[in-house]
Amino acid sequence: MLSLLHFDVLPLAELEVGRHFYWHLGGLQLHGQVFMTSWFVIGLLLIASVLATRNMQRVPQGLQNFMEYVFEFVRDIAKNQLGEKEYRPWLPFVGTLFLFIFVSNWSGALLPWHVIEIPEGELAAPTGDINTTVALALLTSLAYFYAGFKKRGLGYFAKYIEPTPILLPIAILEDFTKPLSLSFRLFGNILADELVVAVLVLLVPLFVPLPVMMLGLFTSAIQALVFATLAAAYIHEALEGHGDEGHEEHA
Amino acid sequence: MFDFDATLPLMALQFLLLTFLLNAVFFKPVSKTIDERDGYIRTTKASSAEYLESAEKLAKQYQQELASSRKQAQQLIADAQAEAQETVDKQVAEAQMEAQQRREQVQKELDQQKQEAMQSLEGQVDVLSQQILDKLLGAQAA
Repeated sequence: MLSLLHFDVLPLAELEVGRHFYWHLGGLQLHGQVFMTSWFVIGLLLIASVLATRNMQRVPQGLQNFMEYVFEFVRDIAKNQLGEKEYRPWLPFVGTLFLFIFVSNWSGALLPWHVIEIPEGELAAPTGDINTTVALALLTSLAYFYAGFKKRGLGYFAKYIEPTPILLPIAILEDFTKPLSLSFRLFGNILADELVVAVLVLLVPLFVPLPVMMLGLFTSAIQALVFATLAAAYIHEALEGHGDEGHEEHA
Repeated sequence: MFDFDATLPLMALQFLLLTFLLNAVFFKPVSKTIDERDGYIRTTKASSAEYLESAEKLAKQYQQELASSRKQAQQLIADAQAEAQETVDKQVAEAQMEAQQRREQVQKELDQQKQEAMQSLEGQVDVLSQQILDKLLGAQAA
């Protein structure tokens, strides 16, 4: 079995977890490889958007058509969760969440990042780093708190004791489990997919990892959808509140 | 794996920046375009419905006009036929009357000539009978 490990001299079959290409910025430590790939993703999104919207036609063609399809897809995510009335101001946030996570995941699954040599660690999907996913999840938490306070002021706190004060601890706990589950779900899925593919490539370099890679593409897309949908659902929950919603439904 | 550091806040800032940039270059223009297109389609649809309605109205009107002019034409034909028939009848009657008149005239002339002929014949009959009588009796008498 040990002889199999010799495969890790192959450039494509290296397995490095927990090693980072550190950048130091005035006493701060940064994961350089995450920023490099995230800048690629951001650049891709911005370039595609600018190219598509540079010369908008009434009858869409080519890239504009594609980007309008993308727009309608993310708009439907936001609209389905937030409702026709509320979704407009939250569309950029939810849509950017989906696009950034989706493009990050697929760049990790489709592009041979590992071929590019960096001094330490390896390039991978930005969403495979816990810092990215926690950042996105905390932003989601901030977003729904902001949504709740903006809509209902301090009355937002009423939702903690709305059905019954007995559930107060659980309601408070929810505010912690939401970002935790959001971030760990995404991080775990992407990293696990990367590791599974890497281990399979380590064992059988050709063809055998392909089905797992296909599965990885699928789960990556699903994770992006799940993250965006849940973020929109949390914002909707904060906007509506448990109690109001219940009364409306019973009425 | 779980080493948190300054990547987290910077990534959050970066993501917020991306949100604002994408809002400016993607979400706003695309939604504007789609709304404009929706509006264009709606107004075009409304105006085309209007056009359709007016076209239908025009078609109806033309059909009515067509029907009325067809009726008029039929009336005209019927009138013309009636007039022609009348003329024909009149002329036939006139011709018949003329023929009748001529026949009567001719008959009259014939009658007259016959009478004349009869009269002259009667005269001649008298003379001839006298002559015959003379001839028969003359020898006896003489």
